[in-house]
Amino acid sequence: MSSLPAFFTPYQNTVNRALERLVPENEPPPAASGGVRAASVIDAMRYTLLAPSKRVRAVLVLLCADICGTDSRAMPAACAVEAVHASSLMLDDLPSMDNAPLRRGRPTAHREFGEAITILAAFGLLNEAFGHLSREYDASLSNQLVTLLSDAVGLDGLVAGQAEDVLATEATISFDTLERIHRRKTGVLFSASATAGALTAGGSETDVAVLAAYAKNLGLAFQVIDDLLDVTGTTEETGKATRRDARKTTFVSFSGVDGARALAEELCRTACAALEPFGRRAAQLKALADFVASRRL
Amino acid sequence: MATPPDPRVDELREQLKALGYLDARMDRFVLGGAARRSQAVALAAAASARLGLLAGLLLGPAAAIGLRARVPGLVTSGLDAIVLAAYLGVLFAVATGLVAAAAILAGAAMARRSAASAGFSIRARRIAAAAGLMVGLGCLLYLSLWWRAAMDAGSMSVAWTGAILAIAVAISLLLGHGVMVTVLAFLARSGLARSLQPGLPLSSRRAIVPLAALSFFGALAILIAAPRGRVEPAPPPLTVIPTGQRVVVIAVDGVDESTLDRLRRAGRLPTFDRLLAQAVATMTSDADRDPARVWTTIATGQPPERHGVRSLETRRVAGLEGRLQPDASGWSAITAATDLLRLTRPTIASGETRLIPAFWEVAARAGLRAAVVHWWATWPAPEDLGIVISDRAILRLEHGGAQDAEIAPGSLYESLRTTWADRRARAAAKSAAALMPDAEGDLAAAVRRSAEIDATLVDLSTDSHLGTPDLLVLYLPGLDIVQHALFEHPGGGTLSPSVAADRLSALERYYMFVDDSLVTLLGTAPVKDRLVVLVTQPGRVERPGAGFVALSGSTAETVRLTAPLTGVAPTVLHALGVPVARDLASSAMIGLFSRAFADAHPVREVATYGARRSIARTGSGAPLDREMIERMRSLGYVR
Repeated sequence: MSSLPAFFTPYQNTVNRALERLVPENEPPPAASGGVRAASVIDAMRYTLLAPSKRVRAVLVLLCADICGTDSRAMPAACAVEAVHASSLMLDDLPSMDNAPLRRGRPTAHREFGEAITILAAFGLLNEAFGHLSREYDASLSNQLVTLLSDAVGLDGLVAGQAEDVLATEATISFDTLERIHRRKTGVLFSASATAGALTAGGSETDVAVLAAYAKNLGLAFQVIDDLLDVTGTTEETGKATRRDARKTTFVSFSGVDGARALAEELCRTACAALEPFGRRAAQLKALADFVASRRL
Repeated sequence: MATPPDPRVDELREQLKALGYLDARMDRFVLGGAARRSQAVALAAAASARLGLLAGLLLGPAAAIGLRARVPGLVTSGLDAIVLAAYLGVLFAVATGLVAAAAILAGAAMARRSAASAGFSIRARRIAAAAGLMVGLGCLLYLSLWWRAAMDAGSMSVAWTGAILAIAVAISLLLGHGVMVTVLAFLARSGLARSLQPGLPLSSRRAIVPLAALSFFGALAILIAAPRGRVEPAPPPLTVIPTGQRVVVIAVDGVDESTLDRLRRAGRLPTFDRLLAQAVATMTSDADRDPARVWTTIATGQPPERHGVRSLETRRVAGLEGRLQPDASGWSAITAATDLLRLTRPTIASGETRLIPAFWEVAARAGLRAAVVHWWATWPAPEDLGIVISDRAILRLEHGGAQDAEIAPGSLYESLRTTWADRRARAAAKSAAALMPDAEGDLAAAVRRSAEIDATLVDLSTDSHLGTPDLLVLYLPGLDIVQHALFEHPGGGTLSPSVAADRLSALERYYMFVDDSLVTLLGTAPVKDRLVVLVTQPGRVERPGAGFVALSGSTAETVRLTAPLTGVAPTVLHALGVPVARDLASSAMIGLFSRAFADAHPVREVATYGARRSIARTGSGAPLDREMIERMRSLGYVR
C-alpha cells in the first residue's frame, strides 16, 4: 500500500482548515525591492505551513487522542505539532544547512521569500505553536504540552539533531550517531505527537507508554523510508529533490536498500504489536503504520 | 533463487533492539508503569513490583504443584490447589519483587562507580546482564528442584520433563531479562542516559539461544543429580494363612513403669498382671512425647518421616481443606503470627496426613475383620477397611447430625447414636469408681472426664454391632490425661509432699480403674484362640520412660525382650497370618511367640503394603475442628 489510507483525507482536511485559522491570510504585501520577491513573514509562514502535506504528525495526534477516548480537544495540539514541523523544515532547507531547492513539490521557502524572511517565519511558526497551546488549553494541560513540545524542539530534540546532522555531513558516522540524529530530528516529534494526543484525551500512564512505544518505532521507520526514498524515489513521487543525501551517511548506507526496507517493515510491525492493549480501536493507527512501511511519497 | 540474508541487517536489528526499538513487549510490561516515574528509585520500585507480579503469576501455580507433592494432606481438592497457588503467588510476588529490587539497586550501584570512565556503557550493560543472570539462574534452580519434588509423586515421561524444563528456562530468562532491562533504565533515570550508548546487545539471539540451551541442560543435570524421594511400588495382594488366633490390641497411654510395677506387686492390678505375665518387650521411644506421632509410628510400623504424622497440632490454612504440620521449633512463632492474622488456625492431626496404612487397615485389606476404636489420626474413616470408630467419633456422637467420616461403615453411626445416651449413663456411673471419695475441683473433673472417656471407649469396643472381629484395636487415653492433669502444671514448680501424695493416690486409683475396665473388655478367664497385645507408652511426662508391648495367650512365649516402636505393627499382623512388608522399619518380633507358633507359622513377607489411599469425603471436617481443638485443650493436649 503506497497511498494514504482512506480515513486520512477527512482528518487532513480538518487539520488544513485549522491551520488556515492558526495563521490567517495577511493583507496584500507591501511592494518589493531588490532581487527577492517582497513578501510578509506571514505569507512565508503560510507558504510552508499550508503547502500540500500528508499531515502525518497532526493526524497522529488526533488518532492517539481518539484511541484514548476523544479527539475533541486534540486539534490545537495537532496544529502546534504541524507548525513546529513546518518551522523545522524551513530551517532545515536553508542554504546554510541542507540548501534544499524543493519542498512539498514547490520551491523551498528561502527561494521564494529569501533567507531572512524564512528564518523569521520559522521563528514565527514556533512561537505561534507554543502560544496556541497556551491559549487553547487550561494551565495544567498547556503546561504539560508546552514542556513536551519544547523538549522535542530543544537540546535533546530537533535543534540537537539538526546540529549533529549538519556537522556530520560528508563525515563517516556510526550507526549509533545516525540513530541519534534520526531520533532527534524525526522520532522525538513523532513521540511528542502521540503523547500530546493521549494527554489531550486524558489517557492513562499505560496508554501514554503504549503510544510512545508505537510512535518511537513508527518515527524511525518513517525516517528509514525517507532515506530509502532519497535513493530509490523520484522528485515527482516525493515532492523534493532526491539524491540530496548522497554526501551523508544514511540508514541505507548501513543496511542496503533491501535491508532498510526489511527493517522499516519490522519497525512498523513492532509499532502495530505495541498497540495490542487497545485491540480493535487501534485499527487506524495500524493502518497508518502499514502506510509508513510501504509509502512511496 | 532466494537471496541469502544480509548479515548487516541482523547486526542493525540487534543494535536497534539495544536502543529500545523492535523488542519492547517485555520491557514495556516491566517498565511501562515505571516509565513516567521521575525518581530513579521509584522507577526501580515500580519495575520490581511488576517483575514480582510476573513471578507470582508464573511461579505460584508451579510451587503449589510442588508443595502438594511434598506436604501430604495439604491439598485435598482442586479448590485447595487454586487457593494454595494464590497464596504462593502472593508469596513469590513479594519475594521476587524484593530480590529484583535488591538486584536492580545493587547492579546499578556497581555500575555507577565507573560512570565517569570511558567504558562505562559496556560495563553497565555487563553488570546489568550479570544481575539479570543471577536472578534468572536462581529462578531456574528453584524451578528445577521444584520439578524434582513434583516428580517424587510419580514418574513423568521424558516429553513432560522436557516441556516443563523448557517452560522453566523461559520463565527464568523472562525474569532475568526484566531485571537487566530495569538496571539500565534505572541508570538512565539516574542521569546517566547520555553515557549509556549501545555497546553490548541487550538480547542477541546469538547469546540467548546458547544460554537457553545451557540453562535447559543445566536444569536437567540438577534434576538428575538431586536425590529423589522414594517412589512407592504398587502393593502386591495379601494372602492370609489363618493362625486360628483373634487378636485384641489394647493401647494404654500414660503408663509409668515404676507405678505399674509397684501396684502389681501390691496385687492391685490383677488384669495388668495377667497381661504382663508372658511375653514382654520394652520399647524406648526416644523421649518422643507427641502422642499422635508416637501412636501412628506404632500403628504403621514406620517412622514419622515415612508415615507423615509429625505432630498432634497441625494448622489449617485459610481457604484450604488440607493442613500443614509445622513441627519444627522455628515454626511456633510463625504459626502464632499467622493464627493471629487468621491465615491459619490450629487443628488436630488427622488421617489425611498419614501416608502409610495402619496395621488394622492392612488386615482389613487382607480380608480379615478388623475394628479400631479411638486411635490417633483415624479420622476420616475409610468406608471399606473394616470398622473404624475414629478419634472424632465421640464428638460426633455427642453432637449428632450428619456424620463426616467419623465412623465407618456409615450404618454403624446410626446404631451407636441410638444407644448413645444409655452408653454415656453407664460410662458416667463407672467413672465414679475412678474418683477418690473426697475428690473435688478441677483435678477431680479431669479424672472424671478421663474415666468417662475410657469407659465409653471400652463400652463401644464391646458393642454387639462390632461382632467378633479378627482384630480389635482400642486406644485408651485416660491414664495419660489424668497423669498429665495431676503432675504437669504450667508453673513447673514442685508440689508439697502432702499434695503430691494425694495426687499419687488419685493416679493409683485410676490405674485400678483402667485395670477393672480391661476386665469388662477381656473378661477374667483366658480365651484359647485370643491373643491379647497390650501396648503402653509413658505419655506426655517430662521424665524419660519406656513403653512396652506384652503378648498374652496360648501363642505367646514367656520372655523379656527389647523392641522398637515400629515392631508392634508387623508382630500383630504376623499373629494374624498376614505377610509382613519388607519395607517396614522393623520385622515381626518372632521371639515373643511360642516355639510351637513360630514353627507352625514362619514369617512370610511381601515387598510393601503400599501407600494409604486418600479418603473421599463430602464434608470438610471444619465444623468439628474447633470443637476438637477445644476438647484437646481441655484435656491438656494443646495449650
